[in-house]
Amino acid sequence: MADDDIFKQFREHSVAEFFKKNRQMLGFSGKVRSLTMIVHEFVTNSLDACEEAGILPEIYVQVDELDAQAKDHYRVTVKDNGPGIPKSHLGKALGQMLAGTKFHRYLQQRGQQGIGASACVMFSYLTTGQPTKAISACKGKKITANITIDFKSNKPVVEDPVEEPAAEGESGLTVVSEFKDVRYERSNYGVYEYLRRTALANPHCSITLVEPGDQMSAFPRSVQVNPRRPFEIKPHPLGIGTHDLLEFAKHSRDYRKLSAFLQNTFSRLSAGRVDELRALVPGVDFDKNPQELDWNEAELLVNAFRQVKWIAPATDSLVPIDKEQIEISFTNIFRPEVLVVTERAPKVYRGGIPFMVEVGLAYGGGLVSAEKKGEVMRFANRVPLLFDSGGCAITETIKSMDWKRYDIRNFEDEPVAVLVNLVSVHVPYTSAGKQAISNEEDVMDEIKFALMEASRGVQKYLSGRRRAHDIANKKKLVSRYVQQLSSDLATLSGEKSDSIAKKLTQIIEEKYAQEDEEEAGGVAEPAEKAEEGEDE
Amino acid sequence: MSDATKKLEALGKQMVSQVEKGEGPTFETVLRTKSNTIYDEAIGCLRTGDKKELRKFLSMAQARTFMQTVAIGAKTKQFLRENLHTSIRGLFYQLKFTLGEDIDEDLFTEQSESNALIEDIEVALKIKREDLNLTTDRKGFVAGPMTILDRFGGEETLIDLTKQGRSGWSIPSDVDNGMEIKKLDADYVLVVEKDALWQRLNEDKFWKKENCLLVTPKGQSTRGTRRLLRKLADKKLPIYCLMDCDAWGWYIYWTIKTGSMNLAYLGRDFAVPEAKFLGVTMSDIKEFEFLQKLTMKAKDVDVKRAEEMLGYPWINRYADWVRELKMVLKTKKKIEQDALQGQRLTFVGEYINKKIKNKEWLS
Repeated sequence: MADDDIFKQFREHSVAEFFKKNRQMLGFSGKVRSLTMIVHEFVTNSLDACEEAGILPEIYVQVDELDAQAKDHYRVTVKDNGPGIPKSHLGKALGQMLAGTKFHRYLQQRGQQGIGASACVMFSYLTTGQPTKAISACKGKKITANITIDFKSNKPVVEDPVEEPAAEGESGLTVVSEFKDVRYERSNYGVYEYLRRTALANPHCSITLVEPGDQMSAFPRSVQVNPRRPFEIKPHPLGIGTHDLLEFAKHSRDYRKLSAFLQNTFSRLSAGRVDELRALVPGVDFDKNPQELDWNEAELLVNAFRQVKWIAPATDSLVPIDKEQIEISFTNIFRPEVLVVTERAPKVYRGGIPFMVEVGLAYGGGLVSAEKKGEVMRFANRVPLLFDSGGCAITETIKSMDWKRYDIRNFEDEPVAVLVNLVSVHVPYTSAGKQAISNEEDVMDEIKFALMEASRGVQKYLSGRRRAHDIANKKKLVSRYVQQLSSDLATLSGEKSDSIAKKLTQIIEEKYAQEDEEEAGGVAEPAEKAEEGEDE
Repeated sequence: MSDATKKLEALGKQMVSQVEKGEGPTFETVLRTKSNTIYDEAIGCLRTGDKKELRKFLSMAQARTFMQTVAIGAKTKQFLRENLHTSIRGLFYQLKFTLGEDIDEDLFTEQSESNALIEDIEVALKIKREDLNLTTDRKGFVAGPMTILDRFGGEETLIDLTKQGRSGWSIPSDVDNGMEIKKLDADYVLVVEKDALWQRLNEDKFWKKENCLLVTPKGQSTRGTRRLLRKLADKKLPIYCLMDCDAWGWYIYWTIKTGSMNLAYLGRDFAVPEAKFLGVTMSDIKEFEFLQKLTMKAKDVDVKRAEEMLGYPWINRYADWVRELKMVLKTKKKIEQDALQGQRLTFVGEYINKKIKNKEWLS
């Protein structure tokens, strides 16, 4: 056998084999988690498509259990009202691994997680042998087709396409796919929780879920406008590692000289800065073709980046959920007694990567009746992080908080829910599973400050409530003695008991109403600014 | 209308007028703490100082006690109107009821609550509990040349204290209200600590021979006994006391003389600074040989009490007492008054005569 054949055969098997062996890396580990990841991939694509087209998303998700005996065999249907996908792109969008253009885009985007819908199509095919059915209504046409993947070529296969005119105003993509080796569960890691949290962080979406057994849940839209679209920014030199620099250089075809590549690829890297770099690394030829940059030179450059004083990157590319919108969706879902949302100003970690933190802290009310205690809801760029909470910077920061200081005696045993959304062009995940945020000091600090800010708001409310409670108690205590005292005062003085009691009750009413006002006005919010070491 | 009734009514009217003005009712009383207890040299007894305290109904900490205090006031006003007497325990039971069907609380739950508040009223209104028809336990006895007019239960009884036989006249809890000294021929008053010694002297007709009033408080003096001694001292009768020479005896004596820390608020009305301590003294042991064999070893409590007494400014100002107490600390001995009968039963009388005649007493 010729060498070529060996490699050909090796390659034919490789994609499927690679997938099978590395499922965990792609997020398909565990039956429940796998199903959640599948829904996540399809829903994320739908949300991105709708928002990009300026359509308010309406997502329909249905999970059917196909074989009650065999178990672990499901059909997943995800339907959106997006622009749909034209026939020419349908195969590529759903049937080609790593076909996306998300690589190295410095853009705040959901799709950083997972490896896309194609992986789900492949997972479906590998576990059931069935193609994925796609129905795309796009620009007046409606295409129905079955999609599989040709492992030999890693190319999509579009089978039995049927094209018909779409109904008036009909638009959107529906994907129907079967899976084995997955399981539906109503747990903290399941599809229901994923969609509930997605709705929480995306109040402009309307999401409907039909679970096995035809139980329908609706998460209605609470905000009638799509969020501002994030825009792409050039990476900042301080956010770049050696490997990143080499990748950028290899993919750059527009520049003949390294100096031009650097100036045009990175933000804040002016001609003046190139001169500074030249002086710092005389061994590197700044006139060479960037594609010929080697590891050593890249490393020298990256080290030099650290020595130059840069202007911080622009942070206006970040799009948070927005304070008001969190308030609306939180209120809709939990109806808490008190809710405080804090949105921190954008900051930079590792010197070059913009990020910002939003926190919503809710207490009491609907959380009590829902028996929710110490619920932590983590998000990265609006995407719920359900797994790997142990090592996540958000979880650890919440654990490290001295909640007692904020009148929350035992975080895990009180009706309190926290939402933390980390927004960044590059979320620092701990691993390829992309479900936990690594312990970046700058990021953790911001999370902490945001939590403290929100906690102070909740504390102010709680202490106010306790104060009102105290005053009511005092009033009650004194009031219960009015009858006895009045009748004894009448005996002592010879006056009428009734009129003494009436007047006394009036005095008590006035006194405690006044006390309530005085105390409410007199209590200042505890100042902790100095301790936080904020410098803004 | 009695003075106490007037004062109670004035207190009520003052509180009602506060309420009518839209203020929470209050009343002023004197602080009854140790730090506000002073020894008043001018009158020679313990009394409360000048620190005042304002009690408020509209206060979390005081609302309940305020209501309770007024309840006691109202209840005692009723006793006075009906001219009926009861003990402080009887008062407690009169006031031990629930505040209402929907209120899970009693007006009073413990007698200790009402006892303390009775003292508050005494201090605030400058009256005695006896003036509120509240009786106290009695246990003292007296015999001798005095005639008392007792108005009680709608009757008037004339009591001749020379005709009380072996038992003597039992001193009532209140010697002020409805009680009048009609005739008093005695030259002095002799107070002996123990009933046993009183009976001995009564049998000897000591009070007749000496023309004195023979009193025993039977241990610590009741309010009635102290009040009677005060009234007798006011009649210019010298008051001589014969006690055990030990901690308890001294304490009984000093309570008669200067009042106690607990009841300091009663002041001079219940104190007899003029009282003298005849014996038994440590010096007696030296003087009478037979007593030396009858001493006992002083207990720790006696020694400790002696040390404390040396520290009290109302005691250590008397050189004779300092000398006496230091002797106790040195010899660690004590002796009972009964020891005076050790030689002859009639020795006691001689001993007392000698002491009074030669003015051999301690201040």
